[in-house]
Amino acid sequence: MSGGSSCSQTPSRAIPATRRVILGDGVQLPPGDYSTTPGGTLFSTTPGGTRIIYDRKFLMECRNSPVTKTPPRDLPTIPGVTSPTSEEPPTEPSQNHLRNSPEDKPAGGEESQFEMDI
Amino acid sequence: MNNKFDALKDDDSGDHDQNEENSTQKDGEKEKTERDKSQGSSKRKAVVPGPAEHPLQYNYTFWYSRRTPGRPTSSQSYEQNIKQIGTFASVEQFWRFYSHMVRPGDLTGHSDFHLFKEGIKPMWEDDANKNGGKWIIRLRKGLASRCWENLILAMLGEQFMVGEEICGAVVSVRFQEDIISIWNKTASDQATTARIRDTLRRVLNLPPNTIMEYKTHTDSINWHHRSLLFCWRATWKILLSWTRGIGRAFYVLRTG
Repeated sequence: MSGGSSCSQTPSRAIPATRRVILGDGVQLPPGDYSTTPGGTLFSTTPGGTRIIYDRKFLMECRNSPVTKTPPRDLPTIPGVTSPTSEEPPTEPSQNHLRNSPEDKPAGGEESQFEMDI
Repeated sequence: MNNKFDALKDDDSGDHDQNEENSTQKDGEKEKTERDKSQGSSKRKAVVPGPAEHPLQYNYTFWYSRRTPGRPTSSQSYEQNIKQIGTFASVEQFWRFYSHMVRPGDLTGHSDFHLFKEGIKPMWEDDANKNGGKWIIRLRKGLASRCWENLILAMLGEQFMVGEEICGAVVSVRFQEDIISIWNKTASDQATTARIRDTLRRVLNLPPNTIMEYKTHTDSINWHHRSLLFCWRATWKILLSWTRGIGRAFYVLRTG
């Protein structure tokens, strides 16, 4: 990925049926190059046509949107799995989870990704 | 109730009793009604992105399952043990669910989160999965939350570039290790499975020596059926030897 966060949603347009790009076994399209397309349109090079593509950085930024702070109305209550009620005291671990995503965990956050022995 | 018979009952009505593992009866009841309600509403109206939200290429559904330890699962009881959490259509709706669910690393026991395209059940038997397979990566404890997040963000953001091939992703919390996997439609399509593997390596930041294993679902089914069959045969043999023993005892009593 080339750094800048990209939200490459393209306006819907009719797909011209005349042009068809046949891709071989996938080596022609190295992952990583696509986010450099200006505007992010991948039409005609993406197998299957236009796609709505988001990189990780952009998705993480959307996490801070105010709508994400309230749980979905029909979120089922599963003890130990979901926390649909927002009137819980802020000491609840589930509430801490809102702020402490794996991303901004103070200890071992960034490093843990690389020192994986499996 | 008898679990064995319940597991064999082909019942999709939702009134089956699969909540024995819940801590209290009250919680179980509440959960069941909530789930039925949410499943009912998701059937009725389509989930669409809200105004000014960022639409996803596909709608996805979160599922949760938890297995009661020590009980062999048939596919029916598996279906009964799996619960729909909800369906979303935009990036923002995804975060609303995700932010109000615990991270996989904080789950207890033998449990799984599944994130599948809307309409695809996280089961081998589903039409979208029956010719498919999955890449599986075993993780030592402590890595699941982060890897799962990276995996599903890549899936939702269409980073795999394999057209319609992706079906969904699973994180399985187990006793000594955690497993993440990504399922695709066509196990025989090697270009697709290779591309999925390479994308996994990139988005999960896996070191080059990480062992990644591809399993076709037919292999999994065969193995599963074989082990179930083995259990049944063993049970049958024991029953048979008992009846024979009892019969012989009666014979001895009568004649002797």
